[in-house]
Formats: sequence, structure tokens, C-alpha cells
Amino acid sequence: MNKFIITVLGKDRPGIISLVSNILYKLGCNLENANQMILQEQFAGFFIVGSPPDISLETLSQTIKSKTENTGLTIHINAVEDNENSESNTRGETFLITTIGPDQKGLVARFSKIIALHKVNIENLKAVFKGGKDPNANIMSYQVFITPDIDTAQLFNALRQKAEELDLDIRIQHKNIFDAINKI
Amino acid sequence: MFDDNEIISTIEMVRNENLDVRAVTLGVNLFDCISHDLQVFKKNIRAKITNHAQNLVETCDAVGEKYGIKVVNKRISISPIALVGACFSSDQMVEIAHELDDIARQVHIDFIGGFSALVEKGIAVGDQALIDALPRALAQTQRVCASVNVATTRSGINMDAVLAMAKTIKKAAQLTSDEDGIACAKLCVFSNIPQDMPFMAGAYLGVGVADAVINVGVSGPGVVKRAIERNLEEQTDPTLGNIAETIKKTACKVTRVGELIGREVAKNLDIKFGVVDLSLAPTPTVGDSIGEIFQALGLTNIGVPGSTAALAMLNDAVKKGGAFASSHVGGLSGAFIPVSEDLNIANAADKGFLSLEKLESMTCVCSVGLDMVPIPGDITVECLAGIIADEMAIGMINSKTTATRLIPVPGKKAGDRVYFGGLLGEARIMNVPNHTLCDQFVKYGGRIPAPIHSMKN
Repeated sequence: MNKFIITVLGKDRPGIISLVSNILYKLGCNLENANQMILQEQFAGFFIVGSPPDISLETLSQTIKSKTENTGLTIHINAVEDNENSESNTRGETFLITTIGPDQKGLVARFSKIIALHKVNIENLKAVFKGGKDPNANIMSYQVFITPDIDTAQLFNALRQKAEELDLDIRIQHKNIFDAINKI
Repeated sequence: MFDDNEIISTIEMVRNENLDVRAVTLGVNLFDCISHDLQVFKKNIRAKITNHAQNLVETCDAVGEKYGIKVVNKRISISPIALVGACFSSDQMVEIAHELDDIARQVHIDFIGGFSALVEKGIAVGDQALIDALPRALAQTQRVCASVNVATTRSGINMDAVLAMAKTIKKAAQLTSDEDGIACAKLCVFSNIPQDMPFMAGAYLGVGVADAVINVGVSGPGVVKRAIERNLEEQTDPTLGNIAETIKKTACKVTRVGELIGREVAKNLDIKFGVVDLSLAPTPTVGDSIGEIFQALGLTNIGVPGSTAALAMLNDAVKKGGAFASSHVGGLSGAFIPVSEDLNIANAADKGFLSLEKLESMTCVCSVGLDMVPIPGDITVECLAGIIADEMAIGMINSKTTATRLIPVPGKKAGDRVYFGGLLGEARIMNVPNHTLCDQFVKYGGRIPAPIHSMKN
């Protein structure tokens, strides 16, 4: 079996997932995993697809492109290496880093750079707005996975220093506290 | 990933609503430290306590840092000294208090509770020695907290002990007259004392528990108040049933925080986890107040008509929410109404909204009792004993914990200001009607018998 990742971008409306998944079904492909989000009315979807051996990357690309012509959707298809150990066995803990304060250019760039320099992966990035016109109500949330080899004291200090420079409130909390408060 | 509301609500609880873990209390059993030799006993208790507690503060701070939720107070509770030190004289008990004070300093904790006696059915030799030692012990030390249980639903009220405690309280106040009687702020008289409470001044480690245990008290009156306010803003037709539901859900969340942190501290210290006390305990900080919850509920101030009903609802909702959140709920687990420790309650008393009589009636439906109440210094022993006896009767008859932490401030009268500092706060002295009477009732002594409903066997 061949494996591919398909990304779909476009203005959100009913029918996008139906269109893409039906094309894949008719090609004999299996949808192994999928996720989607909507950001300011723009749809972004990811599909991990397993195809029969006779369906190559080229065939899949051409078929999808021809059947989605004039839909306004942008679609990319890449081959994916089949990883038998698809569930990560890496040990580590998940933290949520939240910055609170006025939106500013370069905010994500600066914090993500510090995180990257410490070789920590950002698993999820979210702009969380409390709503209203208060600029101090903007919250940026980084879900990071920290492995045991990472010097967390150094990372957290660097993040706190940056937050102080940018006049932001920063909170760094283990994921468990969010689970404890919000999930039964 | 969590949704926006989950992230916002968690951050807000800590950032703006004063959510914190109010106390992590390490309970240490001292029965294996018993010796007839005072120096050996002191050595034994120091070794045992410091062995368990040496990493307590550091561990609490690290876990608090990990979750972004501060552990405000780290404390220790011990087996009742009147039991483990039963062979010692009152002078020797004072020495033990000094030893405990020094141990607390060594391990960097602010209070150690358990300089205590359980005398609901009678005062034994060790109990009497401890009671006699109390005024000096509390006046001469900073970190030692004491409690004496004088009543239970099963045993009745030991009126000899009530009178003895009234005399003790007056003496302790006199010995600290230059500090507004602060020794009395470290002494509680109880009915039905719980043996696993993490809060001071009544914390002690009961019999029948593990050799060492971590009990945690989490608190969030600010969180509850904001939840009520949001609920009232969002609902078009709010009812008290809806509000009670909101309080219950909020109490559930707050309790889960406490259990998470308490369990992790216990695991890291390799000590058993005991209970979560899910009490709403205020501090003198604005926004961290029980009194403000009453205002959020639509009452002008705590103490006005409707307050007892409101407190009953609040106390019950907190218990229900907490009980759902954790299977290991203990201690007092309800709402505290300490006068000087809650700025809003102190102001309500100051402005005449809250009287001693109303406080007493409210203690029928909440967890604690007459807590941190400054009263005129010239109150008679008989009158003080009468107030204590009344509070004990409420606990005894209703099968609940009640307590008194009364501070007769030497040289000051109703309306005068007192200042204790820190978490103990400040307030004006409350009026006690007829406080100079010398009525005979309490002096008859003996024991008020246990109520008939205590005969359950």
C-alpha cells in the first residue's frame, strides 16, 4: 500500500470533506486519519490516505486536481513514509505556555524561536481571544512536548524573560492542570 | 488541544480570581516517639518531623511551579501532644512547645498544629498539663497552634473543660496584651474536631491514620464569586437553584486542582495522600473573600437577613461539588467565616451589618464557628465560657464540627481596632451583649449529656 498526505485549503463551505473523501473512496483509497480546522472562515484539512499499490502519487494528484477544478480549493499531495511505529514512544510531558497581552508583530516568531532553540516541539498553537476590544485580552497558547533531556529551567526562564521584555503576562503550566479543571 | 473557554477559564482562575492551594499540611504521627525522658522525647520528635518534612517546602514549591498554581502555606500537623506527652508536667509541655516552634523554623514552615488535647469526656493528667501550659506555650512561641476538643455528639459537652478553656483563653490574651492577645489566634476550642484538617489553628493528626500523610486545603472564594457574577450576567432569569448549580460546578473544579497538586506532592515525598479539604477559606486580600460572595448573591453585606440561608446554600453546594471531584474529602470542607481574616466580613461587622448573634446563627450551617472574633478584653470568664458552650452545643446537637477562636483583647472595648497581621488580618472588636455577667450556669461544671440521637448502636 502507498501512503499520502493530502492538504486542502479554501474558503469554508458545506461539502468540502464530502467532495474529497468521495474522490478517494472511488479510487479505492482508505482514509487512515483526518483533521480539519476553520480559521477566519478559511478551511484547512489534512488527510492521511492509504492507496492500493497501483495508485501512484501522480495518478492520485491528477485525479484529485481534475475533479476539484473550479472549486476554488488548493490541494497538495505528498508521499508519506510508512512508519510502523506510528504512535510515538518518546517519553516526555506536555505543557501549555500562554502569553497574555496586546497583540504585536513578531510575537509568535520570538517565542517559537526560543522554543525551537531548546529543541522543543510545538504540538499545537492557538490564538485564544477573550473577545471584546481590550487589547490586553489577547491570549496566545503553545502546547509543547518536553522530553526529559530538555533543561526546562533554562527554557522557562528564557520565555519569562522574553515575556517581560514584551510586557506580556506569561503562564507555563503542565497540561494536567487543564485536564483536572476542565475534564471529568 | 483544549478549547478557548477551557484555556481562558483556567488562566483566569489563577490570574484574576485568586485560585491557589491554600495549605499543604504534612501530618506526622508521634506515637513512636514517646519517652518518659523529656530530652529523649524532644530528640525523637525532632528527628521524626524533620525526616519527613525536610523536603516539604521545596516539593510544594516545585509542584506549584509545574502547574502554575501557588501552594501558599506549607504546614505540619502532629499527634496530640497531650497524648504523646501525657507523662510530662505543664512546665515540660511548654518546653515541648518551644521545641516544636524551633522545628517549624528549621523546616521553614509557618505553623505546626497539634499542641492539642481531646477532653470531651474527661480531662486526663496529660490533658490537664497541656491546658495549664497553653497560655505560656502560645505566648512564648510564634508557630505553634493548639486545639482542645471539648465536645462530641457521642460524648456530650465537657463543661469543666469549657470553663477551663475560658480561663486559659483569658490568660493567653493577658500574656500577649501588647500584641492584642495574639496568642488566642493560635488556639481553637472544638466540638467534633476532624482529625485530618489541613487548616490552622485546629489541625492535628488523629489516631487511626497513617504514620505520615499529606492533607491539602484548596481555596477559591474569588473563583466562586466570579462564577456567580458570570452566571448572573449570562442568565436572563436566574434562580437560586441555578446559582447553587454554578457554585457546585466551580467547587468541583477547585477541588480537582487541590487533589492533583496534593497527590503529586505526596507522591514526590513518598508519603500517603490523605484528604482534600475543599473549604472556601478567605484571606484579607480583596477578591479573595467569602463576604464578597454574599454581595454577589444579592445581599448588601454578610450578616443581613438572608445571610444564613445564603450560607447554607453556599456550604452545601461546595460540599456537593467537592464530593463529586474527589473520593477523599475530609477536614471541614465547607465555608469559613473568619471575621478578621476576611476584609469584607471585618468591614461588615465594623459597619454594624454583622453581629455576634448573627455569626452564631450562621455557624449552624457552615463549617467552622466563631472564628477569629475579637471581643472586649474585660469579658468575664463566665460569659466567655457561655459563648463557647453555646457554640459547642450547636456542633453537638447537629452532629457537625463547630469551634471558637475568640480573642478577648486586653484593654480594648467594642469598636476598638485590632491588628494581627498577615493572614490573621485585622478587625474592630465586636460587641458582646452582657459580656460582664457572672452567671452560675457554666460553673456547675460536669458534662452536658450526649443527645439522644447519638445513640445509634
